[in-house]
Amino acid sequence: MSDSISMFPRAWIPYGAWGSSFFPAWQTSALAEVNIGQFAGEAMNRILGLRRVPKSELEYLVIGSTIPWHWKFWNAPLVASCLGVRIPGFHLEQACATGLQAVIHAAAEVQSGSHDVVGVLTFDRTSDSPVGVFPERRAHRRTMALCDVWDNFGFDPAAGQAMIATAGNAARKHGLDRREVEELVLCRYQQYFDAKASGFLDRVLVPLDVLNAQGRLLGRIDADLGVRRITRDGLRAMRELDTCVTTGLQTHAADGMAALLVTTRDKAQQLSPRPEIAIQCVAKAEARAHPALMPEAPTLAVQKLLAKTGLTLADVAVVKSHNPFAVNDAIFAKVMGYDWRNMNRSGCSLVWGHPQGPTLTRLLIEGLEEAVDRGGGLMLLFGCAAGDVGIAALFRVSEGGRSQ
Amino acid sequence: MTKAIRQPTLATLGLGTVLEIFRNGRLPVDAGELVDRVFGPPTDRGSLVISGANGIVGAGKMIQLTARLEPFGVTSIGLARPRTPDGIARHYRGLVEAVGQQRADRIMSRVVRMTYDGRTLPAELARWRPKFLLESIPEVLEVKRAHYQLFREAFPDIEIRSVTSGFPSSELGVGVLHPAFPHEINKVWEVVEPKTSPITQLLWALGLIPIPVSDHWSFVLDVLFCGITLAGVRYHRATNMPFWKIDKYVRKQVGPNPFRAHDVIGAKGANFLTWSCLHHLAAKYGPLFQPTPELVERQASGQNWYPPDHFRPLVDWPLDREGEEEFADWIQGALFQMAALIVQERRSHLAHINAIGELCAQFRRGILALIRRVGAAEAIRRVQRYHRLHPEAARAAWHPEAFDLIATPEWQQLYVNAEHDGQVGVITIGRETYNGDVDAELNRAIDWLKAEGVSRVIVTGDFHLATQMIGADTSEFFPALDDAEHGRRLAAAWSATARRLHDEFQVSVGFIHGKRCLGGFLELLIHCHYLVAVEDALLGMPEVTLPVVPGMEGCHWPFRKTAPEHWSKLVRLLLGGEAVRAADAVGWLVDGAAPLDEALRTAWRLASNAPGDWPPRRLTPGLLEGIPSDVGLGVSDNPATEAARKAIMESIVAACGAPLAEALDIQARHSGAFFATTFCREGAIGTEHQRTMSV
Repeated sequence: MSDSISMFPRAWIPYGAWGSSFFPAWQTSALAEVNIGQFAGEAMNRILGLRRVPKSELEYLVIGSTIPWHWKFWNAPLVASCLGVRIPGFHLEQACATGLQAVIHAAAEVQSGSHDVVGVLTFDRTSDSPVGVFPERRAHRRTMALCDVWDNFGFDPAAGQAMIATAGNAARKHGLDRREVEELVLCRYQQYFDAKASGFLDRVLVPLDVLNAQGRLLGRIDADLGVRRITRDGLRAMRELDTCVTTGLQTHAADGMAALLVTTRDKAQQLSPRPEIAIQCVAKAEARAHPALMPEAPTLAVQKLLAKTGLTLADVAVVKSHNPFAVNDAIFAKVMGYDWRNMNRSGCSLVWGHPQGPTLTRLLIEGLEEAVDRGGGLMLLFGCAAGDVGIAALFRVSEGGRSQ
Repeated sequence: MTKAIRQPTLATLGLGTVLEIFRNGRLPVDAGELVDRVFGPPTDRGSLVISGANGIVGAGKMIQLTARLEPFGVTSIGLARPRTPDGIARHYRGLVEAVGQQRADRIMSRVVRMTYDGRTLPAELARWRPKFLLESIPEVLEVKRAHYQLFREAFPDIEIRSVTSGFPSSELGVGVLHPAFPHEINKVWEVVEPKTSPITQLLWALGLIPIPVSDHWSFVLDVLFCGITLAGVRYHRATNMPFWKIDKYVRKQVGPNPFRAHDVIGAKGANFLTWSCLHHLAAKYGPLFQPTPELVERQASGQNWYPPDHFRPLVDWPLDREGEEEFADWIQGALFQMAALIVQERRSHLAHINAIGELCAQFRRGILALIRRVGAAEAIRRVQRYHRLHPEAARAAWHPEAFDLIATPEWQQLYVNAEHDGQVGVITIGRETYNGDVDAELNRAIDWLKAEGVSRVIVTGDFHLATQMIGADTSEFFPALDDAEHGRRLAAAWSATARRLHDEFQVSVGFIHGKRCLGGFLELLIHCHYLVAVEDALLGMPEVTLPVVPGMEGCHWPFRKTAPEHWSKLVRLLLGGEAVRAADAVGWLVDGAAPLDEALRTAWRLASNAPGDWPPRRLTPGLLEGIPSDVGLGVSDNPATEAARKAIMESIVAACGAPLAEALDIQARHSGAFFATTFCREGAIGTEHQRTMSV
């Protein structure tokens, strides 16, 4: 596949006009207290302000979230109002693929010529999950109450199993060894702490002060609360919940937001603090695994993506994955013949948590920053989503016009 | 022949000088006579008509003017379109709170309401013999002109004034009386007319504050208020900072909350007026005033600037020191450029320009006082930095030369003026609260009088911009909350100024008129050899309620001038915080209290006659013993009040128990020390400091 090929040749991501909140674990921060849609809107405004991007440049807003929030009915226009601009937009969700789907759909908006500057704003609050009450004529109680986060995690109505069971199923199918998975997890934590210590995350994550109704400080969101200091012995001692699945080998629920822009080439140069860096959406693919084998779905999506683009992993400079279960990466490495140590070098959701909507958006921003650090190249991003779905996408980063 | 440091502001109304008021023993004009001139004699009294009477401006002014004209038997006609909801009745509750139900009912009984279709005046209007139309209809030039034509055809002799925010008198064809929000209580009116009319002088005689300004698209207030709003919006466009947060920083740096003010006034109307003023200003002066898309959008939508209550802001937006400096460049740079334009065009007396910001737009310091404080060079640099951020503003309407005269008395005496006739001087203070600017200007005024060889002086308000004297500007105390030494220095410096009134004149007479004289201003004036007040004026030392410890020698000076049998009254005044009528304070706090004309004559006689005509109360320089501490005040429920009472009493005992030469420092130390206590930090001043400065 030539460098010039792209699904969205008109759509570009302005380098640096992005940011993410820290992702505090659920129930650990002030984010557990807020309307997350409002928070996300105001936080994106703040992030754009810090990046010196006037919000008046925005023409359209694609929001992504998976957990209902107060006044969700009013959708992207309401979030845009919280952001401080009266622009149209829409909401999309695809469970944990939301963050990447939102970017892809924003690129499609730009590609179609409908809008030139599209904001992507993804967010979720897993804390205090809302409970839906649904009429259900086939239930003996006639009405079912569903806790949005935990009841959904616990039961895939199509496959009849819990999320966690899909990890065990996939680990057994691919004959994974718990010790190797634990080594992989130790590596992932070390990668995160190295990235944090190097200051890399300061380019991605923005500390945000949350106010209460009286305008006083409710809390400062300035840490990925919930990230543990794990040890090999500690991991070893953990009770196995399913094959290759312990609390240390999977992610945790979190709250947060992440945002970026998709726009035209010229506008990207205008809005970026480093206009010499060009970022383009190359391609994306989705795949669906057999029932209750969700962790192998991302690998299937990557295979499909590479086949479509004619690329190999050797062409890729940066690999990032959304890995709620460590077995996701282990399967990818095993099937693709790829050293898992070379993936997720700047951190991943296994470590810093999983607020669903913004997870892949933060991963994308981290991956693009990492690609810039490496002098440009292709960045591969992939992850799983509810329903045994995998999604994968490629982005091309060229620094200083070197590969243009 | 009267000589003055600079032109008295009264002269801009054709009302002469303050010195003449004392010399003549009466005010230059009489409200009753002016009512007769404007509305006709009592036997043939005509009426006031306010059109657009249900609007925010019309209804507010209906209440304010009717309350003042009611004693003269003037009827107010409120003319409104039938579709407009009643705007007058909603003021009734506030009126009752202000003047009591009986008087409120009497005032409302003078209001007659009529509706009309905008094309034909009600037939019964003629029965009320309209003499003065105050037009308060929407800001559409052609509509206004047609409205005047309608009235002139029906009532050829009627006087018409428009409350317009932005249209020049030359375009309207009538004079302008542009009032300031909140309309039912704000006394300021910007006046545009070829020469001062009886209507304008009547406003003054009724206790209002008319301020002559020149005829332009948008007058001084709107240039400043719309200008600071525009500056805030421009900063918003550049940085995304939400309007509510911009308000907080504007309040911290300058004083106003421009966006909140729009919402409180009513965003629908206020947005339109702001846009309209800026639109016309931009047409004349260029990009400095060009409305931004946000203003254009809100002009049409009437949308509030603040989010609704259910979306009270969640994400804070702090600025570091560098960020605050850039913010100041955006806001103050624009304001300084606009101020330079106003000064260059000589749109009004500089004291007026300065006062308008304070009295009508919440400026903590008037715009010219602010510029004077930073200096011309730094003000120009600030504008230049603004131009780097907003280069279009540099293209036109920039007059740095307007600051060339910053060292002249017109700039240097914005609040305090002095006049003399060779024998007697009058120092006039045109600010209702005492601050560092007033203190510095007062010292310069004293220096000037002494240099002019004047040894007899009356110290008073300016009979114009300051209609009362309510004590120290408490924002001056903010630094003292964390620094007792700062508080001590402030108290000592202001006390030293006050002592000059006693020490450096052969005769000094403090004169109190207006509704009240409280706190620091009362402390200032008791330093005069004589203190004369209008009998109904309220005098008080409310420091205990804030709480603070009085710092300008109020804890010992009045005791030294009063017989011991009156000391308990002074202690009660200081510890209780309640004001007393001047007439009830004769002999122990003031030397004389009388109706205005008599009080004026008394003050003049004291200032101009030889000593011995009325010997001043003697000041005891030695130690005072036996100050009573139990004056029958019950224990307060508020621990802060009790703590302040204790501290004030300690200050009284310590300062009175020392010789006069040492008492100043002793009281200043007590005052400074109390500023830094938790009682003060958590009291009214601390709360205000937190609200204003902790952004």
